Amino acid sequence: MMRKPQFRLTGICLFLVLITTAQEVKFGKVSKEELMESVYAKDSSAPAVVLYRDVDVSYSYAQSVGFQVITRVHERTKLFNKNGFKFATVTERLYKSKSDRESLSGLKAFTYTLENGEVVKTKLKSSEMFSKSLSKYHNEEKFTMPNVKEGSVVEYEYKIVSPFAYSIDEIVLQYDIPIQQQHINISIPEYFAFKPSMKGYLGINPKYGSKSGKINFQTKRKDQDDYTGKSYYSSSSVDYTIKTTNFTMRDVPALQKEPHVNNMNNYRSSINYELQYVKYPNSPMESFTTTWEKVVKTIYNSDSFGKQLTYSRFFKNQLNAVLAGASSDVEKMVAVFSHVQRHMNWNGYFGKYAEKGVKDAYEERTGNVADINLILVSMLREAGLTANPVLISTRDNGVPLFPTREGFNYVIASAQIADKTILLDACNKYTEPNLLPTSALNWSGRIIKENGSSSIVSVVPGKRSVTTEMMSVNLDVNGDISGKIRKSLTYYNAYLFRNTYNDVSEEDYLERLENTGAGMEISNYKVDNSKVLGKPIVESFDFYSENQLDIIGDKIYFSPLLFNTTKENPFKLEERNYPIDFTYPRQKKYILNITIPEGYTVTSKPEDLRLALENNMGSFIFRILNPDTNTLQIMADFKINQAVIPVQAYGSIKELYKKIVEKETEKVVLSKI
Amino acid sequence: MRFLFPICFLFLCHFLPAQDSTYTILSLDKALTENANAVVRLDDMVVELFSKREMSIKLTRVVTVLNKLGNKHTHTSIGYNNSIKVKHVQAVIYDAFGNEMDKIKRKDFRDVSAVSGGTLYSDSRVLYMEYTPVQYPYTVEFTYEVSTQNTGNIPSWYFLDGFLVSTEESKYTIVYNAPGLKPIIKEKNISGIDVSKTDVGNKISYKASHIEAIRKENLSPSFGKIAPKLLVRAINFNHEGYDASVQNWKDVGLWMHDNLLKDRGVLPEATKEKARSLVKGVTDNLEKAKLIYEYVQKNTRYISVQVGIGGLQPISAIDVDRVKYGDCKGLSNYTKALLNAVDVPAYYTHVESGRDKVDFEDDFADLGQGDHVILAIPYNDTYYWIDCTSQIHPFGFIGDFTDGRKVLVITPQGGELATTASYLNEENRQKTSASCSLNSDGGIKAEVLINTEGIQYDNRFYLEDKTNDDVIKHYKNYWSNINNLSVKEHTFKNDREHIVFTETVSLSATNYATKSGDRILFTLNVFNNNGYVPNRYRNRKMPLEIQRGFLDEDELTLQLPEGYQVEALPEEKNIKNEFGAYSMSASLSEDGKAVVYKRSLFVKEGAYPKEKYDSYRDFRRTTARADNAQMVLVKSNP
Repeated sequence: MMRKPQFRLTGICLFLVLITTAQEVKFGKVSKEELMESVYAKDSSAPAVVLYRDVDVSYSYAQSVGFQVITRVHERTKLFNKNGFKFATVTERLYKSKSDRESLSGLKAFTYTLENGEVVKTKLKSSEMFSKSLSKYHNEEKFTMPNVKEGSVVEYEYKIVSPFAYSIDEIVLQYDIPIQQQHINISIPEYFAFKPSMKGYLGINPKYGSKSGKINFQTKRKDQDDYTGKSYYSSSSVDYTIKTTNFTMRDVPALQKEPHVNNMNNYRSSINYELQYVKYPNSPMESFTTTWEKVVKTIYNSDSFGKQLTYSRFFKNQLNAVLAGASSDVEKMVAVFSHVQRHMNWNGYFGKYAEKGVKDAYEERTGNVADINLILVSMLREAGLTANPVLISTRDNGVPLFPTREGFNYVIASAQIADKTILLDACNKYTEPNLLPTSALNWSGRIIKENGSSSIVSVVPGKRSVTTEMMSVNLDVNGDISGKIRKSLTYYNAYLFRNTYNDVSEEDYLERLENTGAGMEISNYKVDNSKVLGKPIVESFDFYSENQLDIIGDKIYFSPLLFNTTKENPFKLEERNYPIDFTYPRQKKYILNITIPEGYTVTSKPEDLRLALENNMGSFIFRILNPDTNTLQIMADFKINQAVIPVQAYGSIKELYKKIVEKETEKVVLSKI
Repeated sequence: MRFLFPICFLFLCHFLPAQDSTYTILSLDKALTENANAVVRLDDMVVELFSKREMSIKLTRVVTVLNKLGNKHTHTSIGYNNSIKVKHVQAVIYDAFGNEMDKIKRKDFRDVSAVSGGTLYSDSRVLYMEYTPVQYPYTVEFTYEVSTQNTGNIPSWYFLDGFLVSTEESKYTIVYNAPGLKPIIKEKNISGIDVSKTDVGNKISYKASHIEAIRKENLSPSFGKIAPKLLVRAINFNHEGYDASVQNWKDVGLWMHDNLLKDRGVLPEATKEKARSLVKGVTDNLEKAKLIYEYVQKNTRYISVQVGIGGLQPISAIDVDRVKYGDCKGLSNYTKALLNAVDVPAYYTHVESGRDKVDFEDDFADLGQGDHVILAIPYNDTYYWIDCTSQIHPFGFIGDFTDGRKVLVITPQGGELATTASYLNEENRQKTSASCSLNSDGGIKAEVLINTEGIQYDNRFYLEDKTNDDVIKHYKNYWSNINNLSVKEHTFKNDREHIVFTETVSLSATNYATKSGDRILFTLNVFNNNGYVPNRYRNRKMPLEIQRGFLDEDELTLQLPEGYQVEALPEEKNIKNEFGAYSMSASLSEDGKAVVYKRSLFVKEGAYPKEKYDSYRDFRRTTARADNAQMVLVKSNP
């Protein structure tokens, strides 16, 4: 901030720095130096930088409304170029309930621009702030700063008043642009016990303290004995302690986006405050969630959750029919699951709480995730199985690191059969036992037993989803190829195929298939099991594809996997900061039987190759055989054995792909005999 | 550059009287379900023009949805704002046999702000139905009635909704209360469909039936251009309190100029003075315009706020001057005001934006065409075009967002249609020159120079504003054929005067060439390998349209690795046909140490009947194949 005292003695310099850091930056004191900066020295690629940010969270008490949470925000942002202009628009999402809502007020905002050496200050007018209702639960306040140019500094402050005293919003500590300096202050009355938790890789060094607060009450009372009938006011006051936390952070780097990351917000630094208990004077202590067990209990005790599991009369009649013919537990489970999957239609909403309630949902045949999967749990229980709900955080919701109710936004069912836990989600028409929608494949869930106790269960699939492609190919001396392909897809590969193509007409699908890659022509297409869940999808067809071989002089060159050759390494960046998320373990296997044209012989072919990643994370095997003069047999088998590859292995996986590309693009050379 | 008019202005919605209905799928003609995800059983709109200031629109729309991809064709939503009142809206759901399953009343419709991406705020709203189908097929009967005092934007009527949906019956009726209200209707693309028209008394009706679904195909005209539809307009109308009487484009322009644009160009004296000081000493109008445009680009940004009658009217120049942002209308109007302050004439211009070139209709002057505003600057008997929502485009260059199409230029004397700047064929040029060396492990090192002009410039010059990381990502994608690419250095030169962008890149890559025993296989087109082949259709139905031509010229000098000699070079190729031309040659340098590769691909813009599609595909298949041509090096005997 203060870069003036360079020429002074070091001692004084230090002293000044100490003073300035202890002081807060005054609103409106934007310096010419700040306006003249043209690049952020610590990150020259930053289109903008937050020069200063102050967030102050405190409580205020008013007799009519009780405690409110007041969040004061002050930000000063330097915009270096046009790419930074989007940071001149501010959006605050505000929560509302049926009776209460958060509100934004006290907005003061100015843009500072240097014009011909003069500082020009432009004020945001109140008419330039816009409010809009986003949904049942949220409003939005939005404004964009006036007179913004390259080099401008924008500065604004406002406060958000929240009547929801039991919850302090997550305080984000890292933006998509760097933050040069920020101060965070949190002051909480002794009545509220919150537990802070940090997310992200940035460290903080908080200072704790306390100060005193006072609440004044006024009581109105009419004295009956007084013939004037006047009201008397008496006042009383309560002193209490306010616990404070504050910390300063400097040079907070921008959060850099990278591909194949589950959810970037999992890595954004922030601080969360989770309420543990509330204890007002002379009142009993009201306890809140502090552990995952308690979070689960709170959710379980809600009318929209646990209670929903007690209803069963509404499906009793159907259940007998559903269970007809099913004798073993597995058969019963499959019968109930299929029934709910067919009967119910997901309305597109996530949620751990039933939206309509299971009875209405069953009647109307639609509902949110909880409606559907809680019906499933009840029915399984009614059928005599041990079944329980499992709370989950979807990929979009991030990985829940701390116990909060918001940490879960989804619920599935589980059935205990013998000693196996089988996970079930009936919201998609193509899910299967132990095959959940990909959005739900996020680390682990919490299984809740009937007595309310809970335990962790992994939701990440361990089994590989396999695509096997068998080809028998004839090569033609004119460069064309033809033959038969038989392709089978298992598990997630089959699931995704069904979701993507089952509603597309076969003609459309074949056109897509023909036009991917080689532009082949397909005939005698046949697909099996596209609607039979639990079995691999098997596609088979004849193909013909022109000009697939390179004919140079009297030689023929081709890559052994022909049009299935991996030509590109998907991992291009030199470095990576976050784990690589493949969603589920996978395997791709090609088996080719190639017939060589008459009059030609194999003069060279790639060598066999066998590669493996450390810790059995993945492997690649390539084999090529020339059993007789006119045949080549090729096998390529690529496996990724775990859903998430840690970032430390980025170099190895990039290298593995590199070697695969090299191997698969090597040529077989045929020569005229 | 971005869009601007809010939903209300664009609405192509419809309405109507309830009928008793049994919408069973059993009566559906098989021809209508082929290629269709949904069938529009009945689409029936009745528009009543009570007066210049009162119009009601009623719609009954019955759609049978065959599968989940057909849900979007139910169109169960209606936009409204301060001047459009929704008097009734309802939907009834039937099962496949026509039994009523559910009824969704107005209170069950969601009512939300119609703000789309790119808009900060709009007071337009939309009512929409949220419905989860419980089975397929099912049928939705959607009815609504709206009224408005605006009669200047009578909705167009589409007899067919889009791709992969068919129409069983489609009716459009317009009733007018006085002869002066009789609308003008322009029929488009209806010759191929079964349609009848009646024009009796004060009522005009159309009825079409049995229109089969069509599929989207590569390189074909957009749906809007081939859709059977009616354009409808009133001669005498009111828009937001402004009365109009419009025979032609001249009248539309005059009405805009004298009403919606009137007094919008007032600027504070200080700003005018600022503008004058910017052009001090400059006499030429074009030079002045460049300076003003540059000033606007440096000092404003695009932010869309749509309030009040925002649809057609710009916010005033004085407001933009203060906040320094606006939508296309506001920024264009502001720039025009600045230009006028320095005595440069400039005309506010309506245009339909997007890569798809859509013309204003010569003989049909209405307010419903166009979704964007640019400026036309008259100079030496021609127009120079500028888009004031772009902070980066050179003066007079509009790129593929508004190029080569008929637009409405609004002058003080009225409106006129003019065609914007076109970037034709070889004007969209890219020249790539590379000098490259190959080592015996198959790795390459190269210096590459790329010059782009015209639309190709438009696709490239934005790189200048990207961060180093993003530029490197761009090259890794642009040259995705080169694995293990490492970009060492890059520099850009943006010649805004002549509109040429120059990239100089120095790079290397390991294992580019493939080794096979003693041989090295090297794909010669390293830096502009165009593998594009249009999709194959078993039965092409649509004409072929190539909207923009281009010319790519490439030259590569390749130093061979020590100890290797050329075994085979690809044969020279020269193709010339109605679609363009392709040539490719490779030759050994005199000293035998280098190979010189030359290649050019020229594609002309044009429209062709569907029968030509296969030969165009053949052309591109051949060029794609030739681009993959390889040379073979072999170890020389010691």
